[in-house]
Amino acid sequence: MPVPDNVEATVRALVDAAGLPVSDEEFQSLVDGYPTLRELVDKLYIEEVRYEEPALIFTPVPPAKGE
Amino acid sequence: MTTPRTIESAAAALRSGEASSVELTGEALERIAALDERLGAFIAVNEAGALQQAAQADADLAAGVDRGPLQGIPFGLKDILATKDQPTTANSLILDPAWGEGYDSVVSERVREAGAVIMGKLVLSEFALGAPDEEKPFPIPRNPWRLDRSPGGSSSGTGIAVSTGMVLGGLGTDTGGSVRFPAAYCGHSGLKVTYGRVPKWGCVPLGYTLDSIGPMARSAHDCGAILNVIAGHDPRDPTASAEPTEDYLAGVEGGVAGLRMGVPREYFFDHEELDEEVRLATEAVIDTLAGLGAEVVEVKLPHSDIAKEANTLTMLCEAFAYHRMDMGSDRWTEYGKAARIMIGRAALYSAADYIQAQRFRSWYAKQAARVMADVDVLVVPMTHEPAPAHKPPDINRRLTMPSYAGPFNLLGYPALALPSGFSSELGLPLSAQIVGAPFAEALLVRMGRAWQQVTDWHLQAPPDDAPGGEEA
Repeated sequence: MPVPDNVEATVRALVDAAGLPVSDEEFQSLVDGYPTLRELVDKLYIEEVRYEEPALIFTPVPPAKGE
Repeated sequence: MTTPRTIESAAAALRSGEASSVELTGEALERIAALDERLGAFIAVNEAGALQQAAQADADLAAGVDRGPLQGIPFGLKDILATKDQPTTANSLILDPAWGEGYDSVVSERVREAGAVIMGKLVLSEFALGAPDEEKPFPIPRNPWRLDRSPGGSSSGTGIAVSTGMVLGGLGTDTGGSVRFPAAYCGHSGLKVTYGRVPKWGCVPLGYTLDSIGPMARSAHDCGAILNVIAGHDPRDPTASAEPTEDYLAGVEGGVAGLRMGVPREYFFDHEELDEEVRLATEAVIDTLAGLGAEVVEVKLPHSDIAKEANTLTMLCEAFAYHRMDMGSDRWTEYGKAARIMIGRAALYSAADYIQAQRFRSWYAKQAARVMADVDVLVVPMTHEPAPAHKPPDINRRLTMPSYAGPFNLLGYPALALPSGFSSELGLPLSAQIVGAPFAEALLVRMGRAWQQVTDWHLQAPPDDAPGGEEA
């Protein structure tokens, strides 16, 4: 997923969708880090992983109740 | 300077009559009174309870009731673990005070039954992820070797308390290095256990598929002694493993002759940000263990840099699921500055990214299993640098920093952090890491013991008047 042209608008949309009341300073920090974050996440999409199953476990039998 | 007590030496002293638990507890309380205001290790000290437990431990020993090596030992619990006799905060204003009220986590219950003297609840990074925040009503933890340096997190208080003798052992939690970083920066041992080895019921979660509760103590031996008490299945934790436990000290004197040590150079030894002294100290661990009879095997564990990212993404997304209802409300600023922005940043990941991280995890686990089929352990640096300056975290800088801890949380492997020397300029502790295959904790303790029988880095204690206070 390439870094979008308008990083600010993308980050604003994602933050608003999550309902996070970030300050202007916090928002700017997220904007500043977003291109690097996307670049790092995109490295997860490597050829070697193409046919891997995710490391997720679901059991149809509910586990013992904790509380 | 006297050699600081270990659990091993204190347990022997209790049984020889050289010391009583009340005396050990009194020593620990004196250390707390002298140092804690400056170092910020404890959220709450339970002095009366500790003295009562110590008296009981002494009475039991006198009556021939021996519950094992933790009996009568001053011990600390990260304040993310529920305790029936003290509140639990997770170092946050957010955690519902009703959570954890009036009951013990599995591990609290187990150390209590083993006769440990619980001195109180220890400081952590907020929800095991944030950073010290001057605007919140919690102590600011300081590195006991230099006050202007970080003690590491998230189990900061346990690291400080063990290093300074406020406790002789304690528990931390490790999702991306939170047992091992404070152990490394404060200069003692810390064992991140195999995922599922220690039940987590009664522990506030951070990353559900990564979290582990582990021992922190001066020596590898002491970590084994603690693990003997806390390991083992409990049905209240659905992720707790049914794999049988073992006596983690049974083979502790077995040495390292014939063991095969894998050394993955890529990323772990050649990263541009790796401090040269940290690298050399780790090489010294490898050389020393080789001199004791272990074999060095060069191995490849590709894409470990991506493993760090996969661990971070997994941790943040799982944490965000837990926190979103509070974060999306008017409670945003009740979180500390670091915790809210670090956890909230997970909103920038997609669901597909999370699943892809789990697909990468499957692939990386296969690569690691292939490596471990040929070696007994890996030896790598624990951190890429000695304790960094004590200041608010630059969250964007953290994105690209290397982590030698996170890949092993992603794998769920056990890893033992061991003191490996001191930096030449500031005298800060250095640390290396021995990593094992799943459930190989006993082997790690044994190798750590071998290293610590020929070195005394783990027995170094910081001065009570540590420098750096003027800048802190």
